Amino acid sequence: MLNIVVCVKGVPDPKQACNIKIDPDTKTLLRCDVPMVVNPLDKNAMEVALQLKAKTDARITVLSMGPPEAGNIVKECLALGGDQGILLSDPAFGGADTFATAYTLAKGIQKIGPYDVILCGMASSDGSTEWVGPQIATFLKIPVVTMVKEVVETDPSTWKVKANIDNGYRLMQVKLPALFTVTREVNTPKNLSFSGIIKARKKEIEQWGIDDLGVSQGSVGLKGSPTIVSQLNTKVSNRNVEFIKGTREEKAESLVQKLIGTGLL
Amino acid sequence: MIDFTFTEEQEMFRKAAREFAETKLAPEVPGMEKTGEVSDVVVKAMAEAELMAITIPEEYGGLGLGYTERMIAVEEVSRVSVAAAMMLQVFALGIEPIVKFGSEDQKKKYLPGLANGERLSTTAVTEATGGSDPTGIRSSYRKDGDDFILNGRKCFITNSHIADTITVLAKDEDNPKAFCAFVLDKEIEGWKATHIEHKVGMRGCNTGELAFENCRIPASQLVGEEGKGLRVTMAAIGDVGRGGMVGVALGLQAACLEESIKFANQRILYGKPIVALQTIQNKLADMKIDLEAGLLLGYRAAAMQDKGQRSSNEFAVAKYYTTEACQRAAKMAVDIHGGYGCMEEYAVSRYLRDSYVVGPSAGTSDIMKVIIGRWALS
Amino acid sequence: MAEQKKSVGSVWVIAEQIDCRLLSVSTQLLGKARKLADELHTSLETILLGDNIDRQTQQLIAAGAERVYLGNTPEFAFYHPEIYTETIVSLAREHKPEIILMGSTSAGRELAPLVAARLETGLTAHCIDLVLDEDRNLEQRIPAYGGLLSIICPERRPQMATIAKGVFSAPEPDETRTGEIIALGAPDIASQRIQTLEIIREEPEGVPLESADIVVAGGAGAGDREGWSKISELANTLNAALGSTRPAVDEGWTELTTMIGQSGKMVSPQLYIGVGLSGEQQHLVGVVDAKVMVAINNDDKSPVFEQVDFGIVEDCREFVPVLIEKIKAYQERLTVC
Repeated sequence: MLNIVVCVKGVPDPKQACNIKIDPDTKTLLRCDVPMVVNPLDKNAMEVALQLKAKTDARITVLSMGPPEAGNIVKECLALGGDQGILLSDPAFGGADTFATAYTLAKGIQKIGPYDVILCGMASSDGSTEWVGPQIATFLKIPVVTMVKEVVETDPSTWKVKANIDNGYRLMQVKLPALFTVTREVNTPKNLSFSGIIKARKKEIEQWGIDDLGVSQGSVGLKGSPTIVSQLNTKVSNRNVEFIKGTREEKAESLVQKLIGTGLL
Repeated sequence: MIDFTFTEEQEMFRKAAREFAETKLAPEVPGMEKTGEVSDVVVKAMAEAELMAITIPEEYGGLGLGYTERMIAVEEVSRVSVAAAMMLQVFALGIEPIVKFGSEDQKKKYLPGLANGERLSTTAVTEATGGSDPTGIRSSYRKDGDDFILNGRKCFITNSHIADTITVLAKDEDNPKAFCAFVLDKEIEGWKATHIEHKVGMRGCNTGELAFENCRIPASQLVGEEGKGLRVTMAAIGDVGRGGMVGVALGLQAACLEESIKFANQRILYGKPIVALQTIQNKLADMKIDLEAGLLLGYRAAAMQDKGQRSSNEFAVAKYYTTEACQRAAKMAVDIHGGYGCMEEYAVSRYLRDSYVVGPSAGTSDIMKVIIGRWALS
Repeated sequence: MAEQKKSVGSVWVIAEQIDCRLLSVSTQLLGKARKLADELHTSLETILLGDNIDRQTQQLIAAGAERVYLGNTPEFAFYHPEIYTETIVSLAREHKPEIILMGSTSAGRELAPLVAARLETGLTAHCIDLVLDEDRNLEQRIPAYGGLLSIICPERRPQMATIAKGVFSAPEPDETRTGEIIALGAPDIASQRIQTLEIIREEPEGVPLESADIVVAGGAGAGDREGWSKISELANTLNAALGSTRPAVDEGWTELTTMIGQSGKMVSPQLYIGVGLSGEQQHLVGVVDAKVMVAINNDDKSPVFEQVDFGIVEDCREFVPVLIEKIKAYQERLTVC
């Protein structure tokens, strides 16, 4: 049986990105009314797991670190076809940078038990560092390939994957257990289904806190984060805009003239 | 204290229905508008998304969900295509008599196929002589041994040409007070779809006529008790039909509001987006009020229906309110769009045409008022 | 050599080569790192791993490196996560650098977190500026919703950051400089769990963004594929490179490779035209420098207008076709004369 762990993150809906602001005092994201959704690339990661499960005997554990509301994110992934869900949630986990996040998730994975494959979206739409996957792999001491755009072969002990590089791709052979981060090219995630939602009624989501993981206060959350945000500045621009006026035709004409004037056209 | 929130699970159902509508249905809408024909792609995708299975019990291959979940699904589909939502709601209309009054054999024979989309259904009651007044129908049956012989014509039947499993209402030739409901399938000879209507709106939803000529119907096809067929079909149309129209109207209202907000934010007049103008904000507020009220009326009735309570009156109110509201919303949306509102490439022009077909479906507003008046006076 | 009293460790740049060519981001980072090292009164050192890369060491020294740790054997020919990570981590544990900088290349984006996790230190992605704060910590600046965040790693060392090509400019090479070269052996990794079977290079189409004179960038305001195609046509008409913002990529109108911004490409064109985009920091930081910036947006309050020289308040879907006409008319007049 293939044991798969998919790490998912709840993020503010990227389609409403313009409504997301930073709190100038705490320097954290003000989520406000923007609903939390499954990080889009994590859906691609889920779909890799689901396609595997359709072909072979596999068990999918959905893992997420977040506030209690992130339970909905895990639930949605169970409705997509995950078998069990784990939410790592504790005030002590709050304020974590990617290092502390990866550490906490790695501890969660170790507690889940034996695993063959760990799948993550390449990056989250709100943080977009791309660090968490490789760092989880480091803590677990397993190999990692990032930016996987195609899973070519999946033998029980070895996988072959194509991963993006600047201007091309590399074909990698990896011994399991291993971690892979995926790009949007890897598949088209299936939609949520009614029967999947009904089946998810029977599936369990466990919530684990700092004591369940057996980690120290200093190793997680803000305390366990090597990096901190020191300040938030507004960017000052030294350009002063000149609005071009007139009818639409006139504006277009004026713009062309201005650009000719700068010698750039 | 009344809890007016949807459950987490219902919110997930809504998400699933919305994902279907936005990814599978939306691309087909321009083709549906152009040809006016039902899209096979849409029917197939709807079946795959399990939308026809919502009100069918689990033991017959359905999802075993309730009328609230059904309304959520119809609402989300309608937000993208009123035509597709109408088609979907009438599938449920055809399924309801079998679920509520069908024999075990009939359920086993038809419900699994209806759940997975292999069978498509409708309920045929309306005729030239009676739609809102079903007792005025002329289609009639006489007994021949254990069989029934059916003659007549039905009009304004949604899904007339795509349905292969239809529930038909007919009256006893000799006794105008006795009615029978029959379920007909393609194995039975003597019925066919004839004329197709070309509607000004809801294009992509098939409406047409059915003709029955010496149609021999075995007794096994009788739904409910002999002579008591009116009960069977009115229960379906009363709650499920009206409930379906509420879902259709709510989706259309939401779409009108969303498109209006989008346009008002983009359209610049006097150097600002027109959303800054109070007159536009008033229209948006009116649409919002109607939507909030419609949601409460609709889901209240659906919740009662899910509890097994009588809900036809509440549905009559919800149907009246939401279908009238969607017509107002569509007009306001078109007005907000100004000249663009008359152009085919702008969705709101389609919303206006769709809204006018929503009105008389499953009973006109005037008939709703007759029912509601009766309720008030009772 | 006089013993240097270092109060802080060195500044390191992990340089990168592909097919024996030094990547430009490496010399760009060396330029910036040189300034940081001078401010910290410490040395600037670099690591380069590859095969047959003797000539590249001189480039690194000419760009300011005082010492080059050179891995120059077949095992290092191509980026390999386990070999590269192990090599860099061992060196870092031995020499304890103060700062490590790396380019946000595809290799760098994987290698940096691996090294940082092993060294149990902090790492900031896609920085658009680096300064030393009053405590002499490295302030790593990244754009975030509505502003610029400064991130520091106050307790742990090294402080690590990745930076994209084009954020900093390469220094004038000083061929008179000399430096020390320390040869590295390949680490003994018991069993390799990752193997590179093949590397396939694909050249991108169109005008490359990073070197384009004119960039036309489109955003969510395009509305749909049809609207996007008009923006693309505008780019073609101007023989410009086509850029995008994240929403446009997410909608599927264009590929990730056209995205300009913090986690995308950095551009420094002569002319930048932003069409139907709101000027989010994550995008505009990708426009490192431009002689003239223009924005077309239907909202006169859009933040993009605070960052440009010329603004046009119009629905881009309506305006762009008209603009294309005018440009074509001008171009025709040119050819007629």
